Amino acid sequence: MFTLIVGGAASGKSRYAEDLLLRCAGGPLVYIATMEPFDGECRERIARHRAMRAGKGFRTVERYRDLANADVPAGCTALLEDVGNLTANELYGPGGAGEEAVVLGVEALFKKCHTLVVVSNDTNSGGAEYEGDTDRYLRALGNINRALAERADNVAELVCGVAVYHKGREPH
Amino acid sequence: MIFVTGPLFSGKAEYARTLCPEDELLLNAHELADGTSDLAALAEELAAKYAVITAAEVGGGIVPIDPVQRVQREAAGRLSCLLAARADAVVRVFCGIPTVIRGELP
Repeated sequence: MFTLIVGGAASGKSRYAEDLLLRCAGGPLVYIATMEPFDGECRERIARHRAMRAGKGFRTVERYRDLANADVPAGCTALLEDVGNLTANELYGPGGAGEEAVVLGVEALFKKCHTLVVVSNDTNSGGAEYEGDTDRYLRALGNINRALAERADNVAELVCGVAVYHKGREPH
Repeated sequence: MIFVTGPLFSGKAEYARTLCPEDELLLNAHELADGTSDLAALAEELAAKYAVITAAEVGGGIVPIDPVQRVQREAAGRLSCLLAARADAVVRVFCGIPTVIRGELP
């Protein structure tokens, strides 16, 4: 079962995704973290998410790019967070392999999972006047979100912590 | 007229092309709002001329600091409201998934 969760900043994506995962867990719990700790703000965010996961039994795998080769146990229940960071890393980071690597990476990861929950970002409702790298990023993330939604069993948009399902339904 | 909206690059055009022939389709109506003095007249004209109209949802995120962009975004949002008000059906496309949010598709 593959569930895609998309929402704006601070819309409650992580909390909802974690609770969902714990409810439908089968096999070992794995958290795949994509945020590279560049600065203090990143480290604070990572610490907040770690505290939220503490005691829930997740093993954390840090994977900033090349998801296809992530070391996760077969049959695991995995939470990937998040596609926005992964996309930026694949587009701009050292050794990044572009937009396609994100979708192919998620496909490869899903093959190893019993249950996969993917958190992605809605960045595309804030104006249309973008150029250069920003335009390229929005376009890539839009394409990736659509490709993932097509492959997912369930697609939810998070609005103020409320999951609105556009495809499938909340898994049990 | 069917009005199709949704975030940037969410699959609006691809979906709209399944609804009508290319010559009855207007893509990216939000680009036409800029510099128009009478948005209601523009909405009226477009609604009469096209079977399907798409426009991006542009009002999220931070209000732009640049006054020109602020005015553009405001106009784009108002035009979308005016088009939606004249539409028989309003569809929102999210990650390529269309949902009718008002009215009914013919």
